[in-house]
Amino acid sequence: MISSFLRDPFWIDIENWPISWEIGGTSWFPFLESIHVIAAAMVVGSILFVDLRLLGLTATRYPITTLSKELIPWSWAAFVIAAITGFGMFITRAASHVVNPAFQWKMGLLALAGINMFYFHHRVYKSIHQWDTLSQTPMQIKIIGCLSLFLWSGVMLAGRWIGHII
Amino acid sequence: MPEFFTSIAGLLEGSFLQSAALWTLRTVPGFPPIIQTVHILGIAVLMGTIVMLNLRVLGLAVRSQELTEMTKRVMPWVWSALASNLISGGFFLFARPYRYFTNPIFGWKMSFLIPAVLLTLVFYWMQKRQAGYWEQDTKHLWSARAIALVSLACWIMVAMAGRWIAYVEYLYYPA
Repeated sequence: MISSFLRDPFWIDIENWPISWEIGGTSWFPFLESIHVIAAAMVVGSILFVDLRLLGLTATRYPITTLSKELIPWSWAAFVIAAITGFGMFITRAASHVVNPAFQWKMGLLALAGINMFYFHHRVYKSIHQWDTLSQTPMQIKIIGCLSLFLWSGVMLAGRWIGHII
Repeated sequence: MPEFFTSIAGLLEGSFLQSAALWTLRTVPGFPPIIQTVHILGIAVLMGTIVMLNLRVLGLAVRSQELTEMTKRVMPWVWSALASNLISGGFFLFARPYRYFTNPIFGWKMSFLIPAVLLTLVFYWMQKRQAGYWEQDTKHLWSARAIALVSLACWIMVAMAGRWIAYVEYLYYPA
């Protein structure tokens, strides 16, 4: 069922949208791509120090809530830009992307990174007052920070790999 | 492109460095996307450190972080990321020197990279000599903001140019 969904003519229709042609055939594509890279680097760069703090490796003088409050909005803003520019590139070759293993990995890893983040902010955060200012965080928190680093790096790797397969 | 710049390519072409880089890129499975990802992760670290520091100076981000402390804390990450990017970028540079040293966008990238690094050094050194150097009075604060703004623009241009190296024909050979 998934296979037929991925091969649905709908994806070709997307490629034939006028805007898809416009992006794919002009300097819009490299322009969107360079913005995408900068935004993606910002997503990972701004999350990095939250994750390192969760691991108790750096910035331990600041409470986790402070770092999180000041950095995560940057991650979200950059993510929105990356998502918009990413969508702009996706529609130029939608049918090839959905069957591209690197693209599928990227989406899967992105979903896992999202789940990890959701779990942290909506489950684990309830007990934050117990470890907010501790430099050595509980093991569960360390695992979340570590997972986040690996998942986002994985998103990067899969994302970069898309261009080597298409 | 200036001649001396192009002549660097002549030195690298056919050298041991070129054969080593080409061998690695061709032999190790998945090496090109992996090392490119290492390069982008280096950029991510620079975003989280030097770009954040510049935004902090401009009063736009991480306001609770104390400037001298933040600078001291992020700088080792900045130098490590730059060193890492020199190596990861080096593989491509050494493998195809003429592709880069005759590429005007690569020239642009270097032209932005050098002032970006120099401004970072100035910012770091003055503060290392005297803690709170940039915050001692309004004059110093505004100098710091000017440096941060120019530095920020340079770093963004470095990343932009980096991506456009592969699209040089869009800019220089209009269809």
